[in-house]
Amino acid sequence: MRTSVKKLVTAVSTSVALMGAGHAAAEIQIGIAGPMTGPVAQYGDMQFSGARMAIEQINANGGVMGEELVAVEYDDVCDPKQAVTVANSLVNDGVRFVIGHLCSSSTQPASDIYEDEGILMVTPASTSPEITERGYELVFRTIGLDSMQGPVAANYIASQSPERVAIVHDKQQYGEGIATAVRDTLKDAGVEIAMFEGITAGDKDFSSLVTKLKQADVDYVYYGGYHPELGLILRQADSAGLDARFMGPEGVGNKDINTIAGEAAEGLLVTLPPAFDQKAENQALVKAFQDKGEDPSGPFVLTSYTAVQLVAEGIEAADSTDPFDVAAALREGTFQTPIGTVEYDKAGDMKSFEFVVYEWHSDGSKTPVN
Amino acid sequence: MQDLLYFSQQLINGLTIGSTYALIAIGYTMVYGIIGMINFAHGEIYMIGAYTALIAITGLAALGIAWLPLILIVALLCAMIVSSSMGWAVERVAYRPVRGRHRLIPLISAIGMSIFLQNYVHLAQGSRNIGFPALIDGGFNFGSGDGFQMSLSYMQITIFITTLICMTALSLFISRSRTGRACRAVSQDLGMANLLGIDTNRIISATFVIGAALAAVAGLLLGMYYGSVDPLFGFIAGLKAFTAAVLGGIGSIPGAMLGGLILGVAESMTSGYLSGEYKDVISFSLLILILLFKPTGLLGKPEVEKI
Amino acid sequence: MAANNFRHALFCAFITLIISYPIIGFNLEAQGINVTLTGADATTIVMVLLAAVIVFLFQMFREQIMGGLKSIPHPLPQSNKEPMAENRRAKIESWVLTGIVVLALFWPFFVSRGSVDLATLVLIYVMLALGLNVVVGLAGLLDLGYVAFYAVGAYTFALLSQYTGISFWLALPIGALLAALFGLVLGFPVLRLRGDYLAIVTLGFGEIIRILLNNWTTLTGGPNGIGGIPDPTLFGMEFGRRVKEEGNTSFHETFGIAYSGEHKVIFLYLIALVLAVFTALVIRRFMRMPVGRAWEALREDEIAARSLGLSRTAVKLSAFTIGAFFAGFAGTVFASKQGFISPESFVFLESAIILAIVVLGGMGSQIGVVLAAIAVTILPELAREFSEYRMLIFGAAMVLMMVWRPQGLMPMRRIHIELKRQE
Repeated sequence: MRTSVKKLVTAVSTSVALMGAGHAAAEIQIGIAGPMTGPVAQYGDMQFSGARMAIEQINANGGVMGEELVAVEYDDVCDPKQAVTVANSLVNDGVRFVIGHLCSSSTQPASDIYEDEGILMVTPASTSPEITERGYELVFRTIGLDSMQGPVAANYIASQSPERVAIVHDKQQYGEGIATAVRDTLKDAGVEIAMFEGITAGDKDFSSLVTKLKQADVDYVYYGGYHPELGLILRQADSAGLDARFMGPEGVGNKDINTIAGEAAEGLLVTLPPAFDQKAENQALVKAFQDKGEDPSGPFVLTSYTAVQLVAEGIEAADSTDPFDVAAALREGTFQTPIGTVEYDKAGDMKSFEFVVYEWHSDGSKTPVN
Repeated sequence: MQDLLYFSQQLINGLTIGSTYALIAIGYTMVYGIIGMINFAHGEIYMIGAYTALIAITGLAALGIAWLPLILIVALLCAMIVSSSMGWAVERVAYRPVRGRHRLIPLISAIGMSIFLQNYVHLAQGSRNIGFPALIDGGFNFGSGDGFQMSLSYMQITIFITTLICMTALSLFISRSRTGRACRAVSQDLGMANLLGIDTNRIISATFVIGAALAAVAGLLLGMYYGSVDPLFGFIAGLKAFTAAVLGGIGSIPGAMLGGLILGVAESMTSGYLSGEYKDVISFSLLILILLFKPTGLLGKPEVEKI
Repeated sequence: MAANNFRHALFCAFITLIISYPIIGFNLEAQGINVTLTGADATTIVMVLLAAVIVFLFQMFREQIMGGLKSIPHPLPQSNKEPMAENRRAKIESWVLTGIVVLALFWPFFVSRGSVDLATLVLIYVMLALGLNVVVGLAGLLDLGYVAFYAVGAYTFALLSQYTGISFWLALPIGALLAALFGLVLGFPVLRLRGDYLAIVTLGFGEIIRILLNNWTTLTGGPNGIGGIPDPTLFGMEFGRRVKEEGNTSFHETFGIAYSGEHKVIFLYLIALVLAVFTALVIRRFMRMPVGRAWEALREDEIAARSLGLSRTAVKLSAFTIGAFFAGFAGTVFASKQGFISPESFVFLESAIILAIVVLGGMGSQIGVVLAAIAVTILPELAREFSEYRMLIFGAAMVLMMVWRPQGLMPMRRIHIELKRQE
């Protein structure tokens, strides 16, 4: 309820950045489709900032095959309905490479249209396994899957040999997907799962849930979902005296959780992609972002940057701007990118994408756990 | 013993939520009792109360004031003033001009107002969830050291006591004061009260103001208890409170209290013994069943169809 | 009197300040791990003060302003004229409508694919609004859970296609009938309730349906939704690049033309157009039938209508069921257009938007509803910088419409004589 209402507050964008529309011959259009407005616009900002930076830098280095990349931006508000409209306008505008979309529920219906129309899509943020499960030729991503992140968390929990674990999720695609992956891995590891339960996203009262967790006497609670709900659960668990360790996916790992949970956020475990902006080889890039006054530390900034870079290198490698050739080149090649070495499998997923377990602190910082 | 403690804990959880539902439900029930319309925007007034309280608390903290009672009193007063003004303005702008028209018209106007207020706060304050400081920490624990421990926090006690005070004060006000008597007269027969020299417009405004002030109290309490506010949480809370009002018998103030407590307990028992996923299903089903089989609610008076 | 007026105006201005300054003038912001309070910039504060001044002036000179407003001739002059004879008006209306439909038929071949897709969405809203118009506008039953029937239609098609591989054309009537059945089953017990109780119960029902869709993961896929919903076919011809189902041929191969994605989009648009026109015609027919008159009679005066021997339940139920039927229609088209549906698309706000369309268009009026559907869907596209304000404007428009023009932009008109009220 909560998110969708806001989604509709803002409408679809057909605003097209018409930079250099006059000389269409010597340019390659790169569509960037994601939420510019709406409830998850803060994640959309990361996506746009990363992709724009990549396009700028590639153009500064002479473009791709001598042609300039041109960004064409679309706003899907993270609403499945508007994502389809965006996909159609994209086809209309003759764009053949798309960086997007952000939300899995938008990516999925849009990718049907892209596949049909021969448009190559690289999503820097959608983690739902279903997106690449359908045997599409032109769908890629630069982010790990829920089914990769879940096991990392589950293996960590299992390695601490807990007696009982509870798994809670927010009944949304992302949260439930990861929670299911965690449950399956834990089951295989022989850990007792005391509870697997959904909550309502947007709810504020979790006192009953916390009581239930206390009664179940669990050592670990895994939460699949986003920070607003986990923040409240942490806080209410703390005041009710629940003695368990909480863990969550990258959707909970931002500083907003500290404003809600306060001290209770101390010791929260979070699986995150490794902090790409901390890597030594990326410092020049980080500097470039900072010079523009942008923050490269968001989880989707560098994945988005990488998505553009991969499209560009794919075009170079295929020596063609035909999306099918580029897709084939992407599947064959090995690419050095800010998020590490990228190799693709047949489905369009990266062969390896690392997640690291971090411990979150009440001052908003995080330290890796070994 | 363990099970009993668990049950009591869920009962306490339910009663806590229930008392705040009751505070919000008063606004619905009083307005319905007097002019027979559902004030859909009441949940938003509650939300605005919570936001104002948070703004006041943050502002005081920025000024370096740390004395808890002062913070609470100032926050409460600010929230009550802003919410009451909002309640007054909403009645003036959206309801008074359409009073007495076809039933649907005030209702649609109210839904419009609700959407408007939601987006008003959304645009002014953003859509993020914002943390609400706890202020009142700690509590009592019951039960053995190694088994299940029941806890009763000071916050929960504060909520009980505040609700009780508000309810008693309101009952006294309604039964003893001059305005309260006028309120009852207006709810019995608006036209007749008018003839007898009661300024009905003023009484109706007063109803909205009182309801909004109580909603603001609930806003501050729940904000501290739960821990965050966002522009959309008023709507669903309002819906629950309305359910509570209907459950207890709309128009009846003790009914709102009873309905709120029953609904709160029903929700927490559903989460505690079944699953939190079905909490809302249970409360909506309860609403539908009550309306079908006992439309006047538990303590409501049967309504005569006026021709 | 003047002093009294002044006091009142001052009070109103003061209230305006109280309700706007704290919320607009201070912004709560999360800075790192702390929430901080920042004052808004000078322009915002000036705006707030300006608003208070305007309220003050308005209240101060309220009588003069209202008097001035009344003396301005009404912007819609026909409201003062005698209504046209019904048959003549109907004739003009049907010519205009036919013209619009013909135009709409050929329009997609000349415009861009994105616009056609958007137009399909508009048509889905038109269908929904026409259906809800029967329930709210004609029968006067406020249904706040209309989106539930829309969801039933969409999920029926999605599930049937997933489990039995049914085609769009077969699913269309099944989805609509199932939605109608839901309407019937729900309507039967709840229609006894009075207007505002009914509104709440339908709202609750809409939420229950959505929560169930979200929780029943084994059947509906829960929040993951259902993907791979097939597109409509034309006599067994598919519009995709490759034929997905055995036994079908593809459209572009049959006619020996080059493949173009536009065919599919235009085809979907045309289907939606035909169905929307069909919806409008059927409902028009109903409006003239005894049952249609009965809806309105019951809306205007329930007791009088019942005294005349109308069965309240039967009449209301028919309106509810027919409304649900067309929501099911729209749902099926929506599922087919999207190819993927999830419970996210069926939230309460969707109901509110459909209701807003009906209210803005003028309850009971078909042309009004169509125009409002177009306006509500397209305007935010045109005024992008205002899209943040869309819902704010919606809400305000609903209130203002109820206060000033409850009959809507294009009110439904009938020949009628109004008796002077005896004071």
